[in-house]
Amino acid sequence: MTNAPLIRVEGLTKRFGGLIAVEDLSFDVGSGEILALIGPNGAGKTTTFNLIAGVLSPSAGQIALDGRRIDGMPVHKIAGLGMMRTFQHNMPFAGMSLTDNVLIGSHRKLRASVLDILAGRAFVRDEEAQARQRASELIDFVGLDAYRDADVTTLSFGEGRLLEIARALAGSPRVILLDEPAAGLTAAETSRLSAMIRQIAADGVSVLLVEHDMHFLLPLAHRVVVLNFGRKIAEGTSRDIVRDPAVKEAYLGEAAGALREGAPDA
Amino acid sequence: MRALLWLASIIAASALAFALGGYATDVYRKMLVWIALALSYNFLFGVAGQIAFSQFAFAGVGAYGVVILSYKLGLPFGVALVGAIALCALLAFIVAVPSTRLEGFYLALATLAFAQLFLVVVNEGGELTGGTGGIAGYKLPEVFGIALRGPWYTVVLVLLVALTLHLLLRLERSSFGRACRAIKANPAVAAAMGIDVRRTKVITFTLTSTLAGLAGAAYAYVDNVINPPVFGLDNIFMLLFMIIVGGMGRPAGAIVGAVLLYLAPFVLEPIVGHAYLVLFGVLVVLAILFQPQGLIGLVDRLRPERRA
Repeated sequence: MTNAPLIRVEGLTKRFGGLIAVEDLSFDVGSGEILALIGPNGAGKTTTFNLIAGVLSPSAGQIALDGRRIDGMPVHKIAGLGMMRTFQHNMPFAGMSLTDNVLIGSHRKLRASVLDILAGRAFVRDEEAQARQRASELIDFVGLDAYRDADVTTLSFGEGRLLEIARALAGSPRVILLDEPAAGLTAAETSRLSAMIRQIAADGVSVLLVEHDMHFLLPLAHRVVVLNFGRKIAEGTSRDIVRDPAVKEAYLGEAAGALREGAPDA
Repeated sequence: MRALLWLASIIAASALAFALGGYATDVYRKMLVWIALALSYNFLFGVAGQIAFSQFAFAGVGAYGVVILSYKLGLPFGVALVGAIALCALLAFIVAVPSTRLEGFYLALATLAFAQLFLVVVNEGGELTGGTGGIAGYKLPEVFGIALRGPWYTVVLVLLVALTLHLLLRLERSSFGRACRAIKANPAVAAAMGIDVRRTKVITFTLTSTLAGLAGAAYAYVDNVINPPVFGLDNIFMLLFMIIVGGMGRPAGAIVGAVLLYLAPFVLEPIVGHAYLVLFGVLVVLAILFQPQGLIGLVDRLRPERRA
């Protein structure tokens, strides 16, 4: 992990009418860092995610990607800058093959305009071939190689989670936002997912993670930001977090004691 | 190999023009125009999922545009043709930009309004559009000293279909076609993957409407008569039926649907009269209920190893 922050969130606030969903939230994510966002239901995690991805615009505060402000930008432009995401509920493109689904993720890297395509220019074919090659590698990486040409609606829930990740990776992201990637996975699938996320971060991609499964998250995250009622109540390594009294109070409760032994010395 | 197949198909379809005669020629020519329109409408509606009712209005802009510019205003034919097509592109762009901003049925409403507006303009256009009677008495001028008459004009229509099919296949099999299908499936997720949803929709609408204009311009010289009812809303529903019955989102489906539903009335009308429209309605309902992939989906089932 390097230290230059790739994502910088400063004073982020989101109000829905009288409700303050996120209030004065600040944190950084470095290149190749795995940062987890945790908190009880309604703490503002998903709102924060949607603010960073551009689905919502903040009421106040700033979000910068590599020094460039992205708050208020349209979603596709933020994705175009290399911020790719997965969804809390699987969102495959129905009626398209697994390979085509993954290829959609590579869209931001393709340069061919409609005129290039209509004119049948040679580079269009090369670009497409490269994207297909990369999509094929990513399908191998997430272990879905048996389903390359399958209709995505036939995938199991766990396979759908993996498709989400492969599709996001196809855009060669600089930042990947994972919204509860382990939700609904078996223990074996979860441990494979951990290895995958470590690999993604090791390749220099910043990983921002929202997750409820502490057994999955604590050993994985380099740093954890804890939210409660839209405010940051703690930030630190997994070890620091499980020992933090405020966190225990707000969220972890009994789980903190059980996990203390298992927390990594990272 | 593929080029040979294209060439063989074009030659075969052109040869038919010389074999046919009289009324059959007229039917064949109009069928070719229907196929061209069904192909572009299939991309817009079947592939990209945009619900629009302006396909025939844009065909009308192309037809009236080229005839008015060349016959009424006396411009050289090449200039008139390019002008008419450019006008289609411009109008389509103007319709698409505001109406793709909003979700849902906004495009459907805007295109419905455009289609009605077009009819009002041509009906009330006085001397320039010929009013309700339309324009007649013109003919295709010589281009570079060549007069494309009789079966040779049918060959032009065959080439129009071939060009339309070629361009749309290229588009459909490209990253752009993939983006269109993704937007149809889920626009919000498509945007999160970096696809500019609005831009893609505007390009799709402008392009397919321009292709409709080209088909309309070609239609203008089939009978050397153009009048408003042809470009009315009745025909747009026929186009919709063709795509649903043939197989939505598939060029082969659009061709099968267009050929079948265009020719069916010639067989059915002597037997059941105008009730054939009721039969079409039933056919569409049956297709939606029992065979959403259309007739081309049935062909797939017979040959499971191939998927076009």
